[in-house]
Amino acid sequence: MLIVIGGDAAGMTAASLVRRLQPETGITVFERGPYTSFAA
Amino acid sequence: MKDLTSATERWEPYDQLLLATGARPFRPPLEGIDSRNIYDVHNLVNGTQLKRALAEQQPRSAVIIGGGYLGLEMAEALHMRGLNVTMIQRSAQVMSTLDPDMGGRLNRALLHHGIDLRVNETVQGFEHKAGLAVAVATDKQTIPADLIILGLGVVPNSQLAKDAGIPLGPKESIKVNAMQQTETANIWAAGDCAQSFHLVSRRPVHIALGTIANKQGRIAGMNLGGRPAAFPGVVGTAITKFMDTECARTGLNEREIEALGLEYAVGMIEAHTLPRYYPGSAPISVKVLAEKSSARLLGVQIVGGPGSAKRIDTAATALHAGFSLEDLLYLDLSYAPPFAGVWDPIVIAARMALKNG
Repeated sequence: MLIVIGGDAAGMTAASLVRRLQPETGITVFERGPYTSFAA
Repeated sequence: MKDLTSATERWEPYDQLLLATGARPFRPPLEGIDSRNIYDVHNLVNGTQLKRALAEQQPRSAVIIGGGYLGLEMAEALHMRGLNVTMIQRSAQVMSTLDPDMGGRLNRALLHHGIDLRVNETVQGFEHKAGLAVAVATDKQTIPADLIILGLGVVPNSQLAKDAGIPLGPKESIKVNAMQQTETANIWAAGDCAQSFHLVSRRPVHIALGTIANKQGRIAGMNLGGRPAAFPGVVGTAITKFMDTECARTGLNEREIEALGLEYAVGMIEAHTLPRYYPGSAPISVKVLAEKSSARLLGVQIVGGPGSAKRIDTAATALHAGFSLEDLLYLDLSYAPPFAGVWDPIVIAARMALKNG
C-alpha cells in the first residue's frame, strides 16, 4: 500500500508512474483541495 | 488523516509513504493581512477567486507586494486588464534572483509601462474596513488599493515531516537523498516540500519550481515502482517576462558565489537576438560568471526583448556538464539570420569573462 500526501505535480507524477510500473500496488492519494495536478 | 468533508479523523496504514505536500505562500504576520481582497496567487482555487473578483468588483487599482516571478507576471496581467498597478519592492531592484545590474533592467521595463514601482520600501500593514483592505501602509507612505497581491515567495509545507521527526534541510525543506528518500524508513518526499542538490554549489538548496517537482516526483515514482533511479540535481534555472522584457537565470548569481567564498570573473555584453538588419531583432544583455582559478562556468543571466530568455537553456546544459568558459567558446550552435547571429550572445559573454578572468 502506497500513500501519497499531496495531489499536485510531484505526488501525481509519482502515483501515476507507480500505477504504470506496478499495476497491482494499492495507491491512495490525499489532496486537501478540490483539484489534482493543478499546477503542472 | 482528517476528512475535510465529514470532519472525521481516521488512521490509514501504509507500506510506503510519499510526502508531496508542496509549499505555501509566505504571508507575513501583518495587521489586516487576512482581508478578503489580499490574494496570493498560488493554486487554481485562489486564482479563480481572483479572476472572479476582477470581473465582479471591477477594481481600478492594485498593489503588488514583491517584485519576483509572481509579482512580475501579475503586474503584466493586471496592467493588461487596465488596472493602475503599484509594485512595492523591499530592495533597490526587482527580480532579486538576478544581480542588481540585470534586475535593474526589469525596474526600467516596469516604469516604462507605467507601473508605479516603489523600491527600497517595506510593507508594514494594511488599512482595512469590514474585512476589506483599503490601503497598504509602508515605511514611507500609505497607498490606497482596491486589490492587493502578495508575491513574497513560498515556504515548504514540512510541518507534518517535522512533527514525525524527519530531518529537514535548507529553509525547513524536507531532507532527501538522490532517490527522494527521507532519513526515516519507507518515507519519501518530492516536490516543493523537499530539498534539491545544487550541482554548481554542491550544496542542498530549496527551490520551489514545477520543473523540479515533476522530476522529483518521477524519481520517487521510479523507485517506489521498483526501478531504481537517482535525481542528479538542479542548477537553479528560472525564466519569466514582463510585457516585452524577458529574463532568465541559471547557476549562481554574484551574491550566491560570494556566499561560497569563490573568486569570480564577469563577462557582460549587449547584443541582439538576431542580426540587426533582420526583422524582429531585439536587444539582449547577457552576463556570464565564472570561477577565477579554474574558469569553471558558475552562472548566466539574460535580460532582453522577445526571443532572449529561452537562450538560457544552452547555459543550463553547460552547467550540468560542468563546462569551463573554454568549453563554451567553440560550441557548434545553430545559426541563420532568422534565428541568431553568427556568434551566440552567451559565447560572446563567455569570451568577455575569460578576458576579464
